[in-house]
Amino acid sequence: MGWVIDIIGAALFAAGLAQGVSALADGVAIGWLAPLLLLAGGLVRAAGLMLAHVQAIRSAQRIVAARRSALLPRLLGGRLARPLLAGENATLAIDHLAAIEAHGARFLPIRKAAALGPLLVAVIVATASWVSAAIMLATLIPFAFGMVLAGTAARAAAERQLAALAELSGLFVDRLRALPLIRHHGAQARISRQVAGAAQEVAARTGAVLRVAFLSGAVLEFFAALSVALVAVYCGFALLGLLPFPAPEALDLRAALFALALAPEFYLPMRRLAAAYHDKQMGEAADKAIAAALPEAEVAPHPASPPFDGLHLRDLRIGIGSGIGPVSLTLKAHDLIALTGPTGSGKTSMLAAIAGQIDPASGERTPVDPARIAWAAQRPLLLPGSLADNIALARPDADRAEIAQVAARVGLTPMLAARPEGLDLPIDHQGAGLSGGERRRIGLARAILSERPVLLCDEPTADLDAESAADIIALLVALSAERAILVATHDHRLTAAARMEVML
Amino acid sequence: MNPIRIALDKATGSATLLRRATLCAVVAALAGIALLALAGWFLTAAAMAGAAGTVAVQAFNYLVPSAAIRLLAILRTVSRYGERLWSHRAALEAMGGLRASLFARLAAQDSRTALPLSSGDAAARLTGDIDALEDLVVRRPSRIAGFMAALAGVMLAASGSWLSALLLAVMLAALPLLLRILARRLTEAPTQQAADALGALRARYVELASARAEIAAYGLGDRVMAELAPLTSRLDQARARLFIGEGVQAALLAAYSALAVMLVLLGAHAPAPLVALALLASAGAVEAMAGLSRTAFRQASVDAGLARLAALDALPLDDAPAPSAATAQAIRLGAVELPPGARVAVTGRSGSGKSLLAEGLAGLRPVTADVALGGHPLPACSGTELRDQFALSPQDAPMLAGSIADNLRLARPGIDAADMADALHVACLDQRIASLPGGIDYRLGEAGGTLSGGERKRLSLARALLTGRPWLLLDEPTEGLDAATEALLISRLRIWLDRTGTGLILISHRPAPLTLTDRQVPVSAIAPQPGQGLPGVASAA
Repeated sequence: MGWVIDIIGAALFAAGLAQGVSALADGVAIGWLAPLLLLAGGLVRAAGLMLAHVQAIRSAQRIVAARRSALLPRLLGGRLARPLLAGENATLAIDHLAAIEAHGARFLPIRKAAALGPLLVAVIVATASWVSAAIMLATLIPFAFGMVLAGTAARAAAERQLAALAELSGLFVDRLRALPLIRHHGAQARISRQVAGAAQEVAARTGAVLRVAFLSGAVLEFFAALSVALVAVYCGFALLGLLPFPAPEALDLRAALFALALAPEFYLPMRRLAAAYHDKQMGEAADKAIAAALPEAEVAPHPASPPFDGLHLRDLRIGIGSGIGPVSLTLKAHDLIALTGPTGSGKTSMLAAIAGQIDPASGERTPVDPARIAWAAQRPLLLPGSLADNIALARPDADRAEIAQVAARVGLTPMLAARPEGLDLPIDHQGAGLSGGERRRIGLARAILSERPVLLCDEPTADLDAESAADIIALLVALSAERAILVATHDHRLTAAARMEVML
Repeated sequence: MNPIRIALDKATGSATLLRRATLCAVVAALAGIALLALAGWFLTAAAMAGAAGTVAVQAFNYLVPSAAIRLLAILRTVSRYGERLWSHRAALEAMGGLRASLFARLAAQDSRTALPLSSGDAAARLTGDIDALEDLVVRRPSRIAGFMAALAGVMLAASGSWLSALLLAVMLAALPLLLRILARRLTEAPTQQAADALGALRARYVELASARAEIAAYGLGDRVMAELAPLTSRLDQARARLFIGEGVQAALLAAYSALAVMLVLLGAHAPAPLVALALLASAGAVEAMAGLSRTAFRQASVDAGLARLAALDALPLDDAPAPSAATAQAIRLGAVELPPGARVAVTGRSGSGKSLLAEGLAGLRPVTADVALGGHPLPACSGTELRDQFALSPQDAPMLAGSIADNLRLARPGIDAADMADALHVACLDQRIASLPGGIDYRLGEAGGTLSGGERKRLSLARALLTGRPWLLLDEPTEGLDAATEALLISRLRIWLDRTGTGLILISHRPAPLTLTDRQVPVSAIAPQPGQGLPGVASAA
C-alpha cells in the first residue's frame, strides 16, 4: 500500500513541476497551485514511504515470530539432524532469523512493488501522454531480454563471488581461532603469508567475476536512463512538430513535462529491488542452513511401548563424514556402562543420539520412548524459581515429600541444612550461589525423581573433589540396581565401577 | 586515524581503484542530474519554439540537445558500472590487505596476554567489523559524488535566479547536519538497545542450548520459550524502531526534495526553459545526497566496530624470530630438577591443573605454578624461549582447516614427506591415513571434523614429534585407544624418545603411558602455595 501512495506522491510532484513551468512558458504568474502540488507531492511521498516501512517491518516480524515459535522449541528441545555446538545453535536461532527478518522487511515488499509499480507509473503517465507510456513499456521488452542474457550469467557470477568470499572469511576465522596453535609452532609468518595470499588470490580471481556480476545492474541502469532519454526526445520533437511520422497525440508542454518528471519513477522500483538483492541471498541462505539442521519430519510418538527391557546399539554413528562413532553396546535393564573417550570426541552428542535427540547417520538403535529416558547433565539446566521447582522440572506433579527424599538421596542435605529457605531457596537462571557439585546433584535429583527406567549421565564426576566424586559414584552404583545407567566419563574411578567400558 | 585510510594503506593499488571509482561516481551523478535538467530545458524550449511558429522551429537547434541527452544516458550507465566495479575491487583489495595485516599483528602477540579469539565469537565479531568497514569503502565514492552533485545542482539552479541558487545552497548545506541530528535521535538509543537485547538473548540462549539434552529429555521446550519471550520481544522492538527510523529518513528526504524544488520555483526569475532546468537539477541534487543519509544512519552501529579495528591496528608488530634449534634447557618443577632428556609424569586428580600446567609451559597461558626453565622462573621467560623448548600435543588436539599435510607442516618449515611418514608411523596413524582418499592430502573439515577424536589426538602427537624441540608435552596421548594400539604407540614412542633424546612431560590417567617415564611429580607439589589449587582450575578443567 505504501508504495502506491509513494507513486501517487511522485505524480503530484510531477504535476506541480509541469504546472509551474508551463505557467511560466505561457507568460502567466506561477500562482499557488504549482508550489502546493510540489509540496503536497513531497508530503504524500513521505507518508507513503513511512507507511511502507512500518508495514514492511510489521509483516517481517510477524513472519519471524511465527518461525521462531516453531523453530526454537525444536532447536532447544527437539530432534536434530546432526550435533550442534551451543554457539552454532544460537547462530541458527538468532542470526539466521535476523537474516530472514531482513529478507522479509527489505526484499519481499519491494518485490511486489517492482512487479506492479512500473505498470502503475505507466498508467498515470498515459493520462497525459499515452505515447510516452507506451515508450516506457516498450523498453521493458529489450530490458527483459537483456536481463535474461546478463542476469543468468550475473547471478552465477554473484553466487561464485559470494562463495569465494565466504571461503576466504572461513579461512580467516579458522586461522584466527588457531592462533595459539600457530604461535606455539612459530608459524606466524608462514600462516600470515597464507592468509595474505588467499585474500590476494580472491581479489584477483573475483575481479573478472565482478565484471559479469554487475552486468545485470548495468542493463537496469541503461534502460532506466534510456527510457528517460527516449521520452525526452519524443516529447521534444512532438512539441516542435518535427516527428518523422504523423503525430499520434496532441501534446502540450504540461503533459510532456509531467511524463518526463515521472519517467525516472518507472524503473525506480526495480532499482530498489536490485539494491535489496543481498538481503534476498542472505535470507535464502539462512533458510537453507536452518532446514539442514532439522530432520525432515518429527518422529511419531511411541504409543503404549512395552516396558523397558534393555537398549541395544549397533555401529551407531552420528554427524557428517566419519563423524562420531561407531558405538555398539547392550545396556541391560539394571546396568551401569561407561562410555569413554577424550574430551571433544563427542560423548555428549553420542548420548543425545542414544536418547533419540540427534538422528544417527548410520547404525541401529532399539527405539525407546524418549519419555522413558532421564538425563543428568554436566551443567544442569536451572530456571528461575525455587530449588524444589528446579528439582521437579521433570515431574511437576511430584509432592514435596518426594522432592525432599530425592534431595537427600543425592546428598543435598548439608546444603539444605545450611540455608534457611531449604527447598524454597530461590534460584536464578545462572544458579548464583550454587557450587558446581550442588548443581550436578540437582540434575541427578531431577533425573531420579522422573522415575524413568533409563538414566544417561554426562560427566557426573568432572570437576568434583575426590570425596564428592566418590559419593556420586556410590550413588550411581546403587541406582544401577534398579535402572539402566549409561555414563559418559573420562574419570577412571567411575569407569572402574562400571560393569563395562565402551570407548568412543 | 580514519579506518578507511588504514584499510586503503594496507593494499597498494586500492587507493587508485577507489579514486577511479570516485571519478566514475562523480561523472554518473553529474550525468544523472544533467540528463533530467537538460531534458526539462529541451522540452520547454521546444514547446515555446513550436508555439512561436515555423521560423522559430527551424531556428531551434534540436540536434545538439537531443544527441546530448542520449550521450548522457549512456555516460550515466557506463560510469555507474565503473563506479560499482572499481569500488568493489578497491574494497576487496583493501579488505584483503587489512585482514592480512590484522592477522599478522594478532599472530605477533604473546598467547599468554593476547586477545582470546578461539571462542569463535570474537573471531566472528572481528569479521563483522571488517565487513562493516568494507561497506563504508564501497559507499565512499557515492558520498563524494553526492557533494559534487550538490555543487553542480546549485550552479544549475542559478539559471533560475541567484535567489533560487542561494535557497538551494542553504538547504543542501543544512541537509548533512539535519541528517546527522536525525540519525542520532533515531538510531543511537535503539542501536544500543538492540545490541544489549541481542547480547542478553544470545547469552541466555547459549546457556539453554548447552542444556539442550535435558530440555529435550524432559519436554521443557515451552517453559524455555516462555523464558526467552521477553528477551526476543525487546530485540524485535529495538529492531523495528531502527527500521522505522530508516523510513523516517527516507520520508524526510522525499519531503525535503519537494520543499527545495518549491523554493527554487518560487525564487526563480528566468525564462521558462531555464526554470525547468533549475527545478529538475535541484530535485536531482537532493536525491544525489541521499547516500549521505545511509552512512549517517549506519554510523551508530559501526562506530564501535571501527574503533575496535583501529585499536587492533595499533598493536605492535614485532616479528617473532623464526624457530631456532635451541639448546635444550633444564626444567624445575617445584623442587624437582629435570635435566634435558628427562621423562616425567605429572600426576593429580581430574581438574587439579595438569593441563593448565602443560599449556603454561607451552606458552599458551600465564602460569602461576612454581616452575622454572633454564634457571629462570616461567613468567620471566619470553614466549619465544618457551616455544623453542616445548612441543605440546594438547588435550583437545586443535587442527587447522586444510589437509593433513598442512597440519603436519605447521610444525616447522622444511618438513618433507619422509619426515611426515616417520612421525605418522610413530603415532600409529600411517595406515589409517593411507586409507583416506588422497592420503596425506586429505582435507580436514573445520576443527578436524572428519577424523575421530582419538585420530586427531594422534595427528597432533605426530605434529608435536615433527617440531624437533627438546621437550615433548603430551596430555593424555592415548585416551580412547584400544589396549593393543596403545601398547604399539607406546613402544614406538619409546624408541623415538631414545633415538632423539627428547625430554618428556606426560599427563595421563591411564597406567600404560606412565611406563615411558621414570619418575612422577604430583601437580600439588608444583602449586605456588601448597594445599591450594591454581586459580580458575575448576572452571577450565
